[in-house]
Amino acid sequence: MASTACFMIVSKNDIPIYEAEVGTVPKKEDAAHQHQFILHAALDIVQDSAWSTSAMFLKGIDRFNDLAVSVYVTAVIHTRLMLLHDSRNDDGIKSFFQEVHELYIKTLLNPLYLPGSRITSSHFDTKVRALARKYL
Amino acid sequence: MEPDVSIETSSMIRVAVVPIAGIPPQLFRDYAAMLLRHHTVSLSSISSFYTEHQKSPFSNQPWESGSLRFKFMLGGSPPSPWEDFQSNRKILALIGICHCPSSPDLRSVAAQFAAASKTYSSALVYRCFAFCPGDSQLEEESKLVLFPPADRQTQEFHLQTMVQDIAASLLMEFEKYVLQAESGGTILKTPLDSQATLSSEEVIKAKKRRLGRAQKTIGDYCLLAGSPVDANAHYSTALELARLTGDFFWYAGAMEGSVCALLIDRMGQKDPVLEEEVKYRYKSVIMHYKKSFIQENAQRVSPLSFELEATLKLARFLCRRELAKEVVDLLTAAADGAKSLIDASDRLIVYVEIARLFGLLGYQRKAAFFSRQVAQLYLQQDNKLAAISAMQVLAMTTKAYRVQSRASSEPFNDAGQTHVDGGKMHHHSIVSLFESQWSTLQMVVLREILLSAVRSGDPLAAWSAAARLLRSYYPLITPAGQNGLASALANSAERLPLGTRCGDPALPFIRLHSFPLRSSQMDIVKRNPAREDWWVGSAPTGPFIYTPFSKGESSHSNKQELIWVVGEAVQVLVELANPCGFEVMVDSIYLSVHSENFDAFPVSVNLPPNSSKVITLSGIPTKEGPVAIPGCVVHCFGVITEHFFKDVENQLIGATQGLVLSDPFRSCGAAKLKSVYVPNISVVPPLPLLVSHVVGGDGSVILYEGEIRDVWISLANASTVPVEQAHISLSGKNQDSVVSIDSETLKSALPLNPGAEVMIPVTLKAWQLGMMDLDAAGSKGVPTGKQVKDGSSPMLLIHYAGPVTKSGDAETVSVLPPGRRLVIPLNVCVLRGLSFVKARLLSMEIPAHVGETYPKLVQVKSEGAEKLDSTERQADRFVKIDPYRGSWGLRFLELELSNRTDIIFETSVSVDMEIPDDKESLPLCNCAEFGSPKTRIDRDYTARVLIPLEDFKLPVLDGSFLVKGSQTNGTARGRTSSFSEKSIKAELDASIKNLISRIKVRWQSGRNSSGELNIKDAIQDALQTSVMDVLLPDPLTFGFRLAKTSSDNSVKLDSPKNSDMETNYHVSGGSIVAHEMTPMEVLVRNNTKEIIKIGLNVICKDVAGENCVEGDKATVLWEGVLTGISMEVPPLQEIRHIFSLYFLIPGEYTMLAAAVIDDANEVLRARARANSLDEPIFCRGPPFHVQVNGTS
Repeated sequence: MASTACFMIVSKNDIPIYEAEVGTVPKKEDAAHQHQFILHAALDIVQDSAWSTSAMFLKGIDRFNDLAVSVYVTAVIHTRLMLLHDSRNDDGIKSFFQEVHELYIKTLLNPLYLPGSRITSSHFDTKVRALARKYL
Repeated sequence: MEPDVSIETSSMIRVAVVPIAGIPPQLFRDYAAMLLRHHTVSLSSISSFYTEHQKSPFSNQPWESGSLRFKFMLGGSPPSPWEDFQSNRKILALIGICHCPSSPDLRSVAAQFAAASKTYSSALVYRCFAFCPGDSQLEEESKLVLFPPADRQTQEFHLQTMVQDIAASLLMEFEKYVLQAESGGTILKTPLDSQATLSSEEVIKAKKRRLGRAQKTIGDYCLLAGSPVDANAHYSTALELARLTGDFFWYAGAMEGSVCALLIDRMGQKDPVLEEEVKYRYKSVIMHYKKSFIQENAQRVSPLSFELEATLKLARFLCRRELAKEVVDLLTAAADGAKSLIDASDRLIVYVEIARLFGLLGYQRKAAFFSRQVAQLYLQQDNKLAAISAMQVLAMTTKAYRVQSRASSEPFNDAGQTHVDGGKMHHHSIVSLFESQWSTLQMVVLREILLSAVRSGDPLAAWSAAARLLRSYYPLITPAGQNGLASALANSAERLPLGTRCGDPALPFIRLHSFPLRSSQMDIVKRNPAREDWWVGSAPTGPFIYTPFSKGESSHSNKQELIWVVGEAVQVLVELANPCGFEVMVDSIYLSVHSENFDAFPVSVNLPPNSSKVITLSGIPTKEGPVAIPGCVVHCFGVITEHFFKDVENQLIGATQGLVLSDPFRSCGAAKLKSVYVPNISVVPPLPLLVSHVVGGDGSVILYEGEIRDVWISLANASTVPVEQAHISLSGKNQDSVVSIDSETLKSALPLNPGAEVMIPVTLKAWQLGMMDLDAAGSKGVPTGKQVKDGSSPMLLIHYAGPVTKSGDAETVSVLPPGRRLVIPLNVCVLRGLSFVKARLLSMEIPAHVGETYPKLVQVKSEGAEKLDSTERQADRFVKIDPYRGSWGLRFLELELSNRTDIIFETSVSVDMEIPDDKESLPLCNCAEFGSPKTRIDRDYTARVLIPLEDFKLPVLDGSFLVKGSQTNGTARGRTSSFSEKSIKAELDASIKNLISRIKVRWQSGRNSSGELNIKDAIQDALQTSVMDVLLPDPLTFGFRLAKTSSDNSVKLDSPKNSDMETNYHVSGGSIVAHEMTPMEVLVRNNTKEIIKIGLNVICKDVAGENCVEGDKATVLWEGVLTGISMEVPPLQEIRHIFSLYFLIPGEYTMLAAAVIDDANEVLRARARANSLDEPIFCRGPPFHVQVNGTS
């Protein structure tokens, strides 16, 4: 079954530092834009919700049409892992987030990585895509 | 669906306001605006217009506190199919507005209004307002309501009265309607109701429903009439009836009405209980609307829009930050519902409302998202009006996506600017500048704006969007896309009027490169009013940028301050970059100055693809005051834009932080530039300006080493202000090459009026080239130019200033206008002239002849002087003139000079003797004539120049040295000899220096220039080595004389010290004859101050050098003692020893005297360089020639 999923990591300055279309639906330029628009808009809600709960995983926090937005807010520097998805596989999404969070922390540990700047590591990208295939 | 709905909407009376009879739109908007202010009319104010015809059905009308609300529909609106369901959707009144001057015929106006009112059948009250009627129109009888021309306030008052009148009429109409409805006349239907014929059962049901619906409608009217309590009563009935009949749709409607009535009743209160109630009731409203969904006519009509409307109404009611979550849920639900709406315009309205509500909530990004959805819906409509709407909606989103046009975000920018001006930006604020770099989204939004602007035919908006897109995202756009944008820019510009300005800059990127330093000709120097020499300390004079001494003074003066002068052109360097793949033609670019005291000169530039350029922008300050240059005004792609340096600077900072896509300058290969601090620029009133040039060409003056030349510098005042003070000083290297400056000429020319000119002579003497220079010159061959670049030339600094104050203001005296500094580099190019190879001191002894004739004058003088004061130095010179050496010891200083230039040099050597006043020094004077012969040195030749030192040898190597030395040793033995040696040495050095300074080697070159060779050091070196031998006289000197002829002469024998020795030689020649007894005497002179015991020997040698006095083949016979003559010579005295010789053979003989010194003291030993005490010390005189003539 083809699924749509768009994964983004947004820094605490609300700047996207990583983005990937991890869905299995063939890519369309327009759709990719739309996904980013939705995720961008969802930030408003994340911003409020993040402070109202102690949970890191905010499931289905926003939606537009058939697409839902799930967010995982990291504790330390308020980085948000955002996933736009159409599947309802909550457990998978949660595991995905946890694994990516770990990856992200590894990236942060890199002394050459300036927190808040773009993640350009291809290794990170490969890993994220592999995780997406595994869990989503 | 309608936009802008809220719960209270149900209580608003809809009034259509339509323009009548060609009223200009602007006026219509004006009048309508006046009308719109009366959207609420209190019941108390309309009571005077109200007449109760029958008993009012609104029994609980709150006449004191209640009010009627109007909703003015400008331009009217088509009737809604749902107006039976919600009476507030009906147009209940019609107001026509006409402007009398534009439609003189009132009757036709009335007719037109009547025609217009036909389309509003639901309206209960019709009025037509005519503004500004003429006098004739006022007199006409018509149904129009005429507003006589009056001031705005009066008009508004009139209008208010008329609105109150309308309100009263409406109220009466409502009463009429309600009374009629209660009697049960009307049938209320909605599009939802089945069109099919009703079955009998349904007919009964419909009858029951009709009652409920009538009650709901009555409730609506009660609400419109401003009586919520009545409304509530009717709604309750209606709810009951609707529930019984299962008329869910109307049930929901009645419920909505009841909530509205509740809110109106509790106007202004918002307690949580009320809120809960409203929430609860609306939930049920939404639920019942949902329930009323009937599958069979879902394709045609659906209550969904009512459900969404109710959702939005509730959301609007709740829309507060604290309830954000609920509102978001509601709005998300609405957005979900929107996609199943049939009517696209309904969906549009829902999105608009959602966007607005999110905006209200403070969720700007959400609002922007839905706004963009709206814009997309508009764009789907594919007509111009929709495109305009799309563009406007998108423009609203730009803030959330941070792509807003500069024009709309001006205040934000200003705030940023002041913050940045304060100094260094914090990292945090840098980040905030680049916050939300969702470049993909930003590009999409800008592209959509561009698209909609193009469709809507708004070239300026299109231009602006394309410019923003190109400027911010060029790295993400393919070259083809960049070209497309460039052509979009060009296309838009074609449709814009010439000289259109746009707030958003396109290309190129412009940054401040530097403020070129004012040319040294125009330097401005702050005047220090406290001191006469006001220029001191104003400029760094040393070679160091920082000196700790000047630091203290200049700490307060900001280095970054720039002073411009009114009327003098200034230049600023900016760097342009075009990182795109097409050529950018900048039609004109000039500095943008907002302070309006600067005239900037535009230039045009062409930037090839991917290139950067540094260009010079110039302008003229026109008025005094501060000048700020925030950026450049650029006319490019047909539009005038202002480019701020700050923006690019921020972008570059962002690029270094990795926050921005790329650095446009680096991608163009421009050199990395440190950020330029923009100095504070102030413009001062005109200052004097001196312009200098060297008479005879400003090129460098080519001089050979040591050449002396006069240079004339002309100074002209090129300003409008006279020069009142001026001071000349020197700076730079080789300052001593400027021999003299005639600063008096300048001083006497002051004040130098505008246009006046003065010439100052400056005498230059070319300096010696250093070793480095020589090497460079040697390797390059032509050193011209290099010397100038080296900056080895001296500079003339002229500090000058204008009048102190123009006006006599006491306060302004303290504020001196700055002075100026003119730097005139004396471009001297020194070529190597004659080069010095080496110097040697040559000594030569010419044997004296034993004769009788001597220049007596000299002898007498010398003797007299000696006798008078032997201890005095000056006299000593004469005394010790070397008569006792018995020969002319001639010493030459030989200089070897080589000429590596391409011209001929002629040198002449002179010894400048400063002639001592009390000295009758004929011989000294003679020596000066030595300068007369010239030595010519051809190019590439080396020549030697001899400087005879004999003449001045004695004056310098005087006896005083020895005398002093002997005195020290003789009279004060206890003294340390080191002291005396030191003083001796010092004196020696001084005398050598004295000697050297007198030697001048002058030259004249083939170029008709002349100068002096500076070879002092070389001579000194040469002299130093042989100084002992040269300077110290022997302790004993010997002389020979013919005794018989000397009887009438003085007892002394002296060697001639004239330079004309040739003659002496001959004169002393021919008086000795062979075969005759020749009495001779040998004179021994003690040059020391102690008695010396000696053993004297006299030897005579023939030409072959054989001793001819002794031995087998003696050719000379003698009488008297010749060997082993022991004698004691008293100090500074001489002793004669007489003997006779008999020459057997004529010819030339040489007489030699030698002595062995007995009991030599230290001085003598030292002089003889004896190693041990035992060593005998010999003293030998110079040979004397004896010419023996034959007898024949």
